[in-house]
Amino acid sequence: MRHIISILLQNEAGALSRVSNLFSSRGYNIESLNVAPTADATVSRLTLVTTGSDEVIDQISKQLGKLVDVVDITDMTSADHVERELALFKLHLVDGKTRQLRKLLASSNARVLDDHEGHYTIELIGGSQEIDRFLDRIRRLSDLSTVVRSGAMAVARGAPVFARG
Amino acid sequence: MLAQNTGYCNAVTFRQHSTGLQPAGWPDPMESTTVKTQPQTQDDAAHPLAGRRMTGAESIIQVLADEGVDTIFGYSGGAILPTYDAVFRYNETHGTSAEEPMPLIVPANEQGAGFMAAGYARASGRVGVVMVTSGPGATNCVTPVRDSMADSTPLVVICGQVPTGSIGTDAFQEAPVSAVMGSVAKHVFLVTDPNRLEATMRTAFEIARTGRPGPVVIDVPKDVQNWEGAFRGDGYLPIPGYRRRVAEVESNAISDSKCEEFLSMLADSKRPLLYVGGGVVNGNASSALRSFALQFEIPVATTLMGLGSFDTKHPLAMHMLGMHGLASANYAVDDCDLLIAVGARFDDRVAGIPDQFAKRARRVLHLDIDASEIHKVKSADWHHVGLLPEVLDALVAYARRSGFSADFSAWHAEAAELKATYGLNYDRESPLIQPNYLIETMNAITRGEAIISTGVGQHQMWAAQYFDFREPRLWLTSGSMGTMGYGLPAAIGAQFARPDKLVIDVDGDASIRMNLGELETVTTYDLPIKIIVLNNFGDGMVMQWQRLFFKGRLSASDKSLRKKDFVRAAQADGFGYAKRLDDKNDVPGVLEEFLNHDGPAFLEAIIDPEAGVYPMVGPGLSYRDMVTGDFIPNRYDQEDRSEPDASELF
Repeated sequence: MRHIISILLQNEAGALSRVSNLFSSRGYNIESLNVAPTADATVSRLTLVTTGSDEVIDQISKQLGKLVDVVDITDMTSADHVERELALFKLHLVDGKTRQLRKLLASSNARVLDDHEGHYTIELIGGSQEIDRFLDRIRRLSDLSTVVRSGAMAVARGAPVFARG
Repeated sequence: MLAQNTGYCNAVTFRQHSTGLQPAGWPDPMESTTVKTQPQTQDDAAHPLAGRRMTGAESIIQVLADEGVDTIFGYSGGAILPTYDAVFRYNETHGTSAEEPMPLIVPANEQGAGFMAAGYARASGRVGVVMVTSGPGATNCVTPVRDSMADSTPLVVICGQVPTGSIGTDAFQEAPVSAVMGSVAKHVFLVTDPNRLEATMRTAFEIARTGRPGPVVIDVPKDVQNWEGAFRGDGYLPIPGYRRRVAEVESNAISDSKCEEFLSMLADSKRPLLYVGGGVVNGNASSALRSFALQFEIPVATTLMGLGSFDTKHPLAMHMLGMHGLASANYAVDDCDLLIAVGARFDDRVAGIPDQFAKRARRVLHLDIDASEIHKVKSADWHHVGLLPEVLDALVAYARRSGFSADFSAWHAEAAELKATYGLNYDRESPLIQPNYLIETMNAITRGEAIISTGVGQHQMWAAQYFDFREPRLWLTSGSMGTMGYGLPAAIGAQFARPDKLVIDVDGDASIRMNLGELETVTTYDLPIKIIVLNNFGDGMVMQWQRLFFKGRLSASDKSLRKKDFVRAAQADGFGYAKRLDDKNDVPGVLEEFLNHDGPAFLEAIIDPEAGVYPMVGPGLSYRDMVTGDFIPNRYDQEDRSEPDASELF
């Protein structure tokens, strides 16, 4: 099953590689990994999407807990949460297909950030599956030349789950 | 009588710290004028050197002194020179010509230093300290660091690094230590801010010894060592997540209701068995375990790493279980109806097929300090994560309060019968020296009181099987990593930690070759270590597997044509006692002489090259498929045995 794990990590040399090393050396998957600063300058938030049985996810969580730099770990999937991802992508449309693109954009939250001689840069913010579905549809119009995705980000609904960050 | 272990050379008779005025050459507390800026807790007196200007190198050594470090193991080199100079000046000003407070023990290779520190740590229960240079110095320590991580041994490894401005330029003797060690150590610090060096040092010791112990590496660029600033004398780095998790485990007392659950499961059991691992040794829980086993009268089987956690001569002791465990211990695992794992982790050398392990146990209980070990391999029906001495003591106290009693005497009789029928045995009539006989004879002399270190392979397993261990911290072996070459340097470290103890390195001809340079280290420091090499002219365990699983093709494992003369090698390295033992009739007399020799002693024993380690549970097989050899009965003999798949065994 797919899990979104949110980790607060101290900003120390090598801290991020110790997290990624843990996944590779113990054979766990990383589907996506997003890292960015938090309100506290000494810690960053990692949002990591992985898949595995309940036993594997339990081990991932416990093994992460053995890393000294890890301040806190939450499996967002275990509670009610909001998930978002940002995707940017480029495609080139030949004449005649722009109408279909407009129609597709109108039916989604995507918007065109840049349109230069048929080279479109499109932005979509949504759930990861929503982005997957949109990409499938748009691929029927044109080959995508660039896909840039942030990886999933998640936050719990209601009160914050971490004391800091 | 065994010889008293005395007579170290002057350079290493240390143990005394001077306390008066400091001679010149080292920061003097009386000259300290700078006011401390850090608030002090009420009962915490200011450090006598607080405020004194020091180099980074001097502050490293001062923190080592504050941590009570009395021995450093390490090898010099360019990037660590400032700190080596600080050790020299510290010893010069704080010691006498005969005694150094913090001697630096120099190996032949940095891997040796790492294993010396590991041997020191395991024999003493204290943190072992290694100090090496950048690049090759640090990478040579990767193996002992990984080994110490896998066997939960507390180390602090200080590595010199190229100056901060040169990091990442492929400078001379540069290696990405933080990246390399980050994968194998409990934690790694790269110190780029000299203001944090002192706190980093203290925090490294804290991390190494708290929770599940392990190795911590500190990478210190040369300019950070040469930096000068005010010594603070206190302070740690913020590691809030780690400290909170350790505190949660340490304060996790077992509740009365959980004690009640435990007692009802025990009352429900007819054949309970303790399965005890290295966590009991590392967690200083041996005496609590003894009280626990005696209170409830539960037989105790230990893992390789758990040897010594429970006196192997005690009537409740079943000795070692697992791949090369005693058949009697393994059958007890098969027979038990309640398995109580304490500081053990269901490793593949114990539970080759987790589902088949303790198959008749209706419940598996698990006590450990590391939450990640619970349900990792085998799911537990009841568990508690906490400090083992506290948990075991609490269970005993609760049982006494509630007047619990259970009668396991029928099970004790079964266990005694297992021990009598399926104990160790070997070819006693053979004209060749059987390794079993050799160790059995040594054990009769040392009586379970000597420190034994080993390499890895057959000799390691024979030593584990045939030696008694009456207390913890006598058995030093590379359990999880299985590092050949561990034995000799570990013995050296152990002798520094325990100058009062007889230390014996039981080694193999292949294992000892791995760190053979450390023979010279033994004589350099005049350590009264006894080194016995069981020579079967090859990688014995590899040959055993090749005979069993590869139709006897001894690919690259037969060393019978090699020219090595071990006795002359030992003599060349200064051993006054170096002998070869090749006649079975000489075994008792020569062993007596060897073990009683006053000073370093080396003995090469030519053993039966065909001798195998039995019992043996093939890799990935259950105890039902245990092979017991020609001299130990097998209760499943009549049944079909599964064969391991050679492509999957490891």
